[in-house]
Amino acid sequence: MFKKILIANRGEIAIRIMRACKELGIKTIAVYSDADKNALHVQHADEAIHIGDSSPKESYHNADKLIRAALDSKADAIHPGYGFLSENASFALKVASVKLTFIGPSADSIRAMGDKAESKIAMKKAGVPTVPGFEGLDSEKDLKKAAREIGYPVLVKAVAGGGGKGMRVVNDESELSESIESARREALNAFGDERLLIEKYIPNAHHIEFQVFGDQHGNLVHLFERECSVQRRHQKIIEETPSPLLTSPLREEMGQAAVKAAQAVGYYNAGTVEFIVDPDTLTLRQGSGQGFYFLEMNTRLQVEHPVTELVVGLDLVQWQLRVAAGELFPYSQEQLAQHGHAIECRVYAEDPANDFLPSTGKLLQYIEPRGPGIRVDSGFTAGDEVTHFYDPLLAKLIVHAENRAIAIRRMQAALKDFVVHGVVTNIDFLQAVLSHPDFANGEVTTRWVEKTLESGSLLPENRQQAVELQSLIAAALADLAIDNRQSKIENRSEPDPYSLWRNPSGFRN
Amino acid sequence: MKLHFNDITLNISSNGKTFALTLDDKTIQAEILHAEIGKLDLLIDGQRVTAYVSSDNAKRWVTVNGQTFVLTKSSGARKGGHAHHAAGELTAPMPGQVRAVNVSEGDAVTKGQTLLVLEAMKMEIRVQALQNGLVKKLLVKQGQTVEREQMLIEIVDTLES
Repeated sequence: MFKKILIANRGEIAIRIMRACKELGIKTIAVYSDADKNALHVQHADEAIHIGDSSPKESYHNADKLIRAALDSKADAIHPGYGFLSENASFALKVASVKLTFIGPSADSIRAMGDKAESKIAMKKAGVPTVPGFEGLDSEKDLKKAAREIGYPVLVKAVAGGGGKGMRVVNDESELSESIESARREALNAFGDERLLIEKYIPNAHHIEFQVFGDQHGNLVHLFERECSVQRRHQKIIEETPSPLLTSPLREEMGQAAVKAAQAVGYYNAGTVEFIVDPDTLTLRQGSGQGFYFLEMNTRLQVEHPVTELVVGLDLVQWQLRVAAGELFPYSQEQLAQHGHAIECRVYAEDPANDFLPSTGKLLQYIEPRGPGIRVDSGFTAGDEVTHFYDPLLAKLIVHAENRAIAIRRMQAALKDFVVHGVVTNIDFLQAVLSHPDFANGEVTTRWVEKTLESGSLLPENRQQAVELQSLIAAALADLAIDNRQSKIENRSEPDPYSLWRNPSGFRN
Repeated sequence: MKLHFNDITLNISSNGKTFALTLDDKTIQAEILHAEIGKLDLLIDGQRVTAYVSSDNAKRWVTVNGQTFVLTKSSGARKGGHAHHAAGELTAPMPGQVRAVNVSEGDAVTKGQTLLVLEAMKMEIRVQALQNGLVKKLLVKQGQTVEREQMLIEIVDTLES
């Protein structure tokens, strides 16, 4: 096992990895940028190394600085977390070339899955269902011909893509030429690669992904699905497992497809095979192999891994470390099962009333909910500054319960106990989604949030007037109490009628 | 005494332990059961209410029953409504960093043209001209950090200049 590892990341995921390291007796090294000098992930580590300016390019995205820090601190391995360099094949190779272990899959697996066209071809060859479409076409004429054959609407998509960049839905042939051009331009800008693929666009799809896990001795299993259809601008907001859409036979079939997909690229460590599921064709299927399609594989630990951990009962990060160190993964597919239901809500520093744009500032209060079946993975505490440099994720709130209905209730109660002052959060919006009948019925598709917001039936600001009045009164009384305390401190001989404020221990008789 | 939050005026009188708060013509009885830093336990018209309260200059963040409100305390002087920006004055829709500045003062711009690009938390926002015109004032530089609502650039009609 490793003695010391460097965590090439920040925030909640760096802390999550450090917790696993501590439990396995591994020393941890944090890296930090200027903006993160006092960040929680730095305080959690055994050692911390400053790697540069706040801009990710100069710090968390800088492969050479990270490798230098690992060598200087005599680490055995690097855990990349998610985002930043976690799916960068040349980083994985560089790490290996200086005799350090990259905690993740091989560079070859990362590369094979990073190219959307190459991975799609590999999946077809392996017998994994893919969205009908074509790869390797270049001229507009060929793309037009392909689009006609597939049938509109179609999707043109950057081969090097991700996060919705370089992707266009084309409803009609008249839009094709312009869409190709703008997708190309965006792809070239974002990835330096203008190649596109074209495929059928499935408008009312569920996003369902399968966690896979393998060791370096050929053992590879899936750890069931995660339903991630609650999305906005291709960003996941709520994830859960099991998916309310899957039946047992479909789950088994998709799980086997996920394992096949991973095996086709010689995968080991934690990975996720994403599928899109078309509920309309599902009802027609009956074992036809249609209805679900391979979308892409994420060759890293996912943000939403905790829901799988709770339902399957495994610590995925500990197992990442153990299999990276060469251990066997001891569980066979038959030994794995789902227990109960888990939901994750991503609490973002963003303002639903301002078009979900980021909100920055100092956290004046930050109180996480507690209780049975509640887990919070976060990288912030009261007094911390939320800056514009990094992802707006404040915390992941995860609940686990006997069944879906109880899990939803538990999440609603937990969100109610989450207090964040100083930045605006999406907590009200999360509540609005959770209490919507479409969510309760498991009928949310990937375009649901946008459509429902547009139709006005998802109101992030569903305020109760009575509560608003109570807030106003509370603000007024707090100000009075503070004013009073301040004047009393100046004149201590007087008895203090608001001695409550001078008694912060808060005992009351 | 009087306190003003947002556009609301509260008249408060204290009667020993309890307070009477008047808002418009409605009076509410309230009592502080317990107070600690950032948190109040209140009895409002007989109902127990736990409120988390933080202050940041004139702003008050209050959470009651899982709902968070941001109130602004004022001196009570009537304001002439919200600050209005002229049509050509463009402000930052979010806090962040100016990633690109595509124009200079004196440049002619066309409606829809991207003038500046802001970036925050991996998100990019293009600030576009709402009208044809000239860049009268450019108030930010590339790399600069801006607050939400901060003035970025002013565009005027070609005739005005």
